[in-house]
Amino acid sequence: MKQDNKFSTGRHREQAAESQTAESQSAHTVAREFQSVEDLLRHDAAQTAVPPEIARRLSQSIAQSAAPRRSWWRRFTD
Amino acid sequence: MNQSCAQTQCPEAAETQLLPAELGALYTAHSRAIYYLALRFLGDSQKAEDATHDVFLKALRHLNQFRREASARTWLYRIAINHCKNVRAAWHDRHVLPSSQDEFIERLPGGDSPLRILETKELGGRIQQTLDGLKAEYRLLLLLVSDQELSYEQAGALTGQTADAVRGKLFRARKAFAELFKKTE
Repeated sequence: MKQDNKFSTGRHREQAAESQTAESQSAHTVAREFQSVEDLLRHDAAQTAVPPEIARRLSQSIAQSAAPRRSWWRRFTD
Repeated sequence: MNQSCAQTQCPEAAETQLLPAELGALYTAHSRAIYYLALRFLGDSQKAEDATHDVFLKALRHLNQFRREASARTWLYRIAINHCKNVRAAWHDRHVLPSSQDEFIERLPGGDSPLRILETKELGGRIQQTLDGLKAEYRLLLLLVSDQELSYEQAGALTGQTADAVRGKLFRARKAFAELFKKTE
């Protein structure tokens, strides 16, 4: 996957997907290189996971805003 | 990416089961792009999380406007850019310090393994440091054009300029990025 590159991110350790196995615990070293700034940013974006908390918070916010609002005086009479 | 995300059980798809169908589809297709823009534009994972939440909430409240738009991605980007600019302006009014690489790493989600953090530190941290050093306009343009779903014309429309102006500025933005990126080694 090596490309003729403009951007080298240097050497860094990367753990294989099977991180549970003893074999993969000896992490190997890889070099990442990119053709352009855009390629570098695309790779970075692909590595960036959206925190699941956002969808949960969204769901809560929607539920709160959808709840019927009671008049202030009803809170005292009900 | 969107189709494969919907077909395979990616994390975004799993979480969107909690959302109303119309918003869920938008979220599955665009949340990664919006979150990434917010993360790298604001340089702070917690602020990016808040911004992404607010952007999709605004989108839900203005879904009727989306139906008149040609592209949901550009519509969401427009909301996100305005929101992030406001957040950034408010933040800089109170705190002059830009986020450093160490601050960025400290705010990473706790579930990351040491190796994942190391990788993020070496690449994500350097990218953030570089973007922080760029003019805001260059930072935004690079983030927008790195999205393959967006044309130069759309990036220009989102930043209030022509596609030719985008091309011209991108040339300088790439050069500035490359010079700053080398200094982060």
